[in-house]
Amino acid sequence: MTEHKVGTREEWLAARTDLLAREKEYTRLGDELARERRELPWVPVEKEYTFDTDDGEKTLTDLFDGRSQLLVYHFMFGPEYTAGCPTCTSIADTFDGVVDHLADRDVTFLASSRAALEELQAYKRRMGWRFRWVSSAGSDFNFDYGVSFTRDQLQEGIDYNYRTLPGDMVAKLLEADTGPIAEQAEAAGTDPAGYMTEGPGMSAFVLDDGAVFHTYSTYARGAEFLMHYYPILDRAPKGRSEGEDES
Amino acid sequence: MTEHKVGTREEWRAARNELLELENEHAARSEELAKKRQELPWVPVEKDYTFDTEQGKRSLAELFDGRSQLLAYNIMFGPDYEAACPGCSNLADHLSAAVVHLNHRDVTLIAFSRAPIEKLQAYKKRMDWTFPYVSTHGSDFAFDFELALTKEQAEGVEEIQTLLKDPPDWLQEWSEQVGTTLENGMRENPSWIAFALEDGVVYHTYTRSAPDHDFVVPYHSQLLDRTPKGRDDDFRAWRKDEYPDS
Repeated sequence: MTEHKVGTREEWLAARTDLLAREKEYTRLGDELARERRELPWVPVEKEYTFDTDDGEKTLTDLFDGRSQLLVYHFMFGPEYTAGCPTCTSIADTFDGVVDHLADRDVTFLASSRAALEELQAYKRRMGWRFRWVSSAGSDFNFDYGVSFTRDQLQEGIDYNYRTLPGDMVAKLLEADTGPIAEQAEAAGTDPAGYMTEGPGMSAFVLDDGAVFHTYSTYARGAEFLMHYYPILDRAPKGRSEGEDES
Repeated sequence: MTEHKVGTREEWRAARNELLELENEHAARSEELAKKRQELPWVPVEKDYTFDTEQGKRSLAELFDGRSQLLAYNIMFGPDYEAACPGCSNLADHLSAAVVHLNHRDVTLIAFSRAPIEKLQAYKKRMDWTFPYVSTHGSDFAFDFELALTKEQAEGVEEIQTLLKDPPDWLQEWSEQVGTTLENGMRENPSWIAFALEDGVVYHTYTRSAPDHDFVVPYHSQLLDRTPKGRDDDFRAWRKDEYPDS
């Protein structure tokens, strides 16, 4: 027999109805957040960025590809990596299918990484993906939008996800021989410091009258919604089964 | 010049920090909800159900396919439809990629519909889907778990009857997109449903039906919520191979 609480249909329905009210609250709060995101001031992008793409060198404006909105997934694949970060890879599996649906809503969706374009192309072929993946190898783009750090910066401390992570805290994260960072670094073919030169995130831009504005960026667990199988897993009987999460 | 509020990096950062607080609260709520979901009582499934699958007839327990959790999305595709609902198809477009990752978390991910298996197979091929697509045709399953309404049940639901009397344009268009009368079309209920299998007993654990902005929507809606212009709820859903510009 299961050790889980078992109930009648009526007991389940009573508990489910309570939960539904909370789920609806959560959804309404989400709608409110979406409104607040759109109210953020837009910040003009005044620097020129160029990217290596499958169609040659392109500017940030070119990346909009005829649409007025651009979403960039900051895929962790740094110059020192030999393969993409495994978590980003599972995220990319799930967003590979969004491109057409978003394009029809005036949104160009693509991924950007700091590794050389040839490496991204090879990994994309291996994974069977279709989304556009550009390299920001030769530009400050990743540093300016808070998703790449030099090894020196890691020692001094970094600004990531709207807070400062001091050098000694970074050092502590890098020391651990086991745990997610060590595992993911190994899977990406680099050491923990090399792995942490990149951070995950997503940034949004808008093109209005020829000017590009930065509108939104989200990092760390703020980008978790992109991992489509997580909200699904949250509805399975046993959930994520990975213990307490750090936020 | 844009008419949107333009700011400096510092102004943006201040507003972004405030928003971040709310986003963090929202994420904490989500974790709380996930815990609450796991605390729902499990209800033993006492009736035998048989489904048509690509591998032949299967029982509910067999649909778990060796795993202990079963999660299914019920796509609106009734026996009289010519093609599945476009909105449900948008949602399903994102499921194939989740299968391998969920399978490795002890979860079998499938979709149900009430149309006969041959129709589901043809549509799945058209849409390039790879998740298992199971037919509930000829079984009470969909009715017992409120994934569909019988004709008589539908006649008793006031909201449905009101909509049928004076359907809005989008709903009329939708019924043309699925190729059946609205009366038939509205008997299917787009929902997520979850079951657990333990010691040979199947338990029903969770159901979530539309309308729901959060989960019973295509995954790309969540991305639209982060774009400068947001999601537009009046948008007509198109199947991915039917966009007017493709």
